[in-house]
Amino acid sequence: MTDAVRTHGLVKRYGSQVAVAGVDLQVPAGSFAGLVGPNGAGKTTTLGMITALLRPDGGHAEVDGLHVWRDPVAVKARIGVLPEGLRLFERLSGRELLLYNGRLRGIPKADVEQRAGELLDVMDLTGAADKLVVDYSTGMRKKIGLAAALLHNPSVLFLDEPFEGVDPVSANTLTEVLQRFTASGSTVIFSSHVMDLVERLCDWVSVMSAGHIVAQGPLAEVRGGRSLNQAFLDLVGGTPHGREAGLSWLGARPEGPR
Amino acid sequence: MSTVLLFAQLKLRLLAGNLRGDTQRKLGFVFTAAIAAGLAALGFLLMSLLRLAPGVISASLLTLAFASFFFGWMIGPLLAFGLDDTLDPAKLSLFPLRTGRLAVGMFTASVTGVWPLATLVVTCGALVGVASGPGGILLGVPAVLLQFALCVVASRLLTTTLSSALRTRRGRDLLAVSALALVLLAQLPNLLMNRGFSDPTAMLHQMAGLLRWTPPGLAAHAIADGGLTGLAELALLALLVVALGWLWVKALSRALVMPDSSTQAASVRRESGLVDRVLPDGPLAAVVTKELKYIRRDPRFRVGWASAIVVTLILSFSLSDPDRGGGGQWTPIVISCMGALMIALQSGNAFGIDGRSLWMNAVAFGSERDLATDLAGRHLAGVLVAAPLVTALAVATGLLTGHPAMILPATLAGWGVLGIGFGVGSVTSVILPYTVPDRMNAFTGAAPGQGGQAFASALGASAGMALLMAPFVVALLFGLFWVCAVAPFYGLLAEVLGRRLGAKLGFARMPDLLAAVSKPT
Repeated sequence: MTDAVRTHGLVKRYGSQVAVAGVDLQVPAGSFAGLVGPNGAGKTTTLGMITALLRPDGGHAEVDGLHVWRDPVAVKARIGVLPEGLRLFERLSGRELLLYNGRLRGIPKADVEQRAGELLDVMDLTGAADKLVVDYSTGMRKKIGLAAALLHNPSVLFLDEPFEGVDPVSANTLTEVLQRFTASGSTVIFSSHVMDLVERLCDWVSVMSAGHIVAQGPLAEVRGGRSLNQAFLDLVGGTPHGREAGLSWLGARPEGPR
Repeated sequence: MSTVLLFAQLKLRLLAGNLRGDTQRKLGFVFTAAIAAGLAALGFLLMSLLRLAPGVISASLLTLAFASFFFGWMIGPLLAFGLDDTLDPAKLSLFPLRTGRLAVGMFTASVTGVWPLATLVVTCGALVGVASGPGGILLGVPAVLLQFALCVVASRLLTTTLSSALRTRRGRDLLAVSALALVLLAQLPNLLMNRGFSDPTAMLHQMAGLLRWTPPGLAAHAIADGGLTGLAELALLALLVVALGWLWVKALSRALVMPDSSTQAASVRRESGLVDRVLPDGPLAAVVTKELKYIRRDPRFRVGWASAIVVTLILSFSLSDPDRGGGGQWTPIVISCMGALMIALQSGNAFGIDGRSLWMNAVAFGSERDLATDLAGRHLAGVLVAAPLVTALAVATGLLTGHPAMILPATLAGWGVLGIGFGVGSVTSVILPYTVPDRMNAFTGAAPGQGGQAFASALGASAGMALLMAPFVVALLFGLFWVCAVAPFYGLLAEVLGRRLGAKLGFARMPDLLAAVSKPT
């Protein structure tokens, strides 16, 4: 099996702080991959460097075997991106956003209109299609963002925290669309710290901690018989014991009549 | 008292925290503090110099000064400062603070800062300048403090009442545009002064008379008077400050429980796509369509365009004034070029308003050509709006100054300037990009800490345009009006070359460009 994404020693520094310290990420084609790690582990920075939104200070990244920084035309045509936060063209309506995005990539207007209509329909956004994105809720923004990322039929999809702040109904819509997408042989890579979700959806997991990949492989392998949550805590070193000493007052109620 | 200390410390911490680790911001703060200190010293000096003026004039001047501080405090925070961190009551709503304590704390927080301090110093100047005798000093101290408190409380009352409206999207959009009306209003006295009113002293007294019974007028009069009338005026003023404070407390407690209702929005019309009928299908048409929508819908664009037009109108008003040597046959050319310049200067930071959403372009652009297309689309959209405006301006000034023969040269020259502006703007947009914040105040130029970049960008764009325009200015000075016929072609050339250069430089530093326009605001 070939790799959809492969990075070699990616490094990114912000001043004296090292956000990503030599990441060798590897995701086989056709997999539904989860990139998990605690806050500040470098997930967003890594995804930014693979999608050419951030310039790495060292190392390089390949998508479908193509060098991201040397062959941007081919790479950018192959990837779909939903970055962190909800940064979209706020003053366009959902439909206009999709039209703009598709036509910017050179897809003929008639095709874009047809695809946008179908995507809005699947995402359950038809009713809000002509409202400005600035007035969308978090779930609607994630959905329109995903629709924009899918519009040009990419082979690899990068999603940064796609389920953060999304209600269960919208989350269900998102997962259905994504599962359909991977079933056709395309690759999805998403970052998250909701372990249950990763466990349920993914067949490939990469665990990041403090700028490094600490474990990577098929879900069952990384899990090793434990729940993913336990495996994750073991890997990134979250020790649940020995912290009670300083919190003796917590939960204590004053004695005596009130 | 502990509340006062706590909130003063909180505000100081916030100020210090904002400065930490960022040299640009530190420089900006030092700059602001230096300006505030300078203005305070200058204001204090000017106020104390009032002593040299005859009594009646100094009293009138003091009334005017106090009134202008008052209005400045009402408008200033809405325009220039925004709601700073301690001032948004919603952030404090979860703390078990009684509204009274909250009000004391918020008052403390709002008087802790360089500008309040500067205001206090300048207001104190009145004691030196106007107070007469021991009575004047005795009344003067509370009068100064009351005037200061009045400024702060009234200003906070206004921001608090507006803040619930400002937190909604529509409210902010509306305020951004209506702030423009204020700027226009501020120009009104200036325009009036230019037209007539030969006797400044009479006008001064007239205005002071108007303001005599306003709260700042009362404070000013009390200092100048120093007698029993002054005492009564001060009592009235104190009552007023307390009443405003009470209203503020009420507004605060209301603001704490008011929900944000900004998501109820209407749909936009689905456009028929006029651009698509003219332009071939493709990225260029997409960019033009999007950009035209943004010019119409984004308050920052609306404010930018509207201020360009307003500034041009004001300038042309004074430039075409025959009393001051205006109205010559070159006037239409100067005015249409000026208008074109004002409009074109907006393109000096083309990606700033896209801001954090620019990634969507960045992930789609695989080559320099894509970026060049993007710039071309933006310029085309700009020209579609600007060219008719410049033409209208040329026709109007040509007819009004009585030089209809100059309409054609003026139009052509204006178009040329547009082209030059877009060309230079493409380069500054990628070399010196900065974030244009999207908040209630659409006049804010740049994200915190990027003021320097914004200044350098505007300066660079102006210098570049001046340089490229220089040959034409020289030719026109020698009366060679025919060069105007070449101007549009020259402008087009500048646009094409500038766009190529901008795309070349910009594509290479796309991630940096993206980072520069995505700063937190």
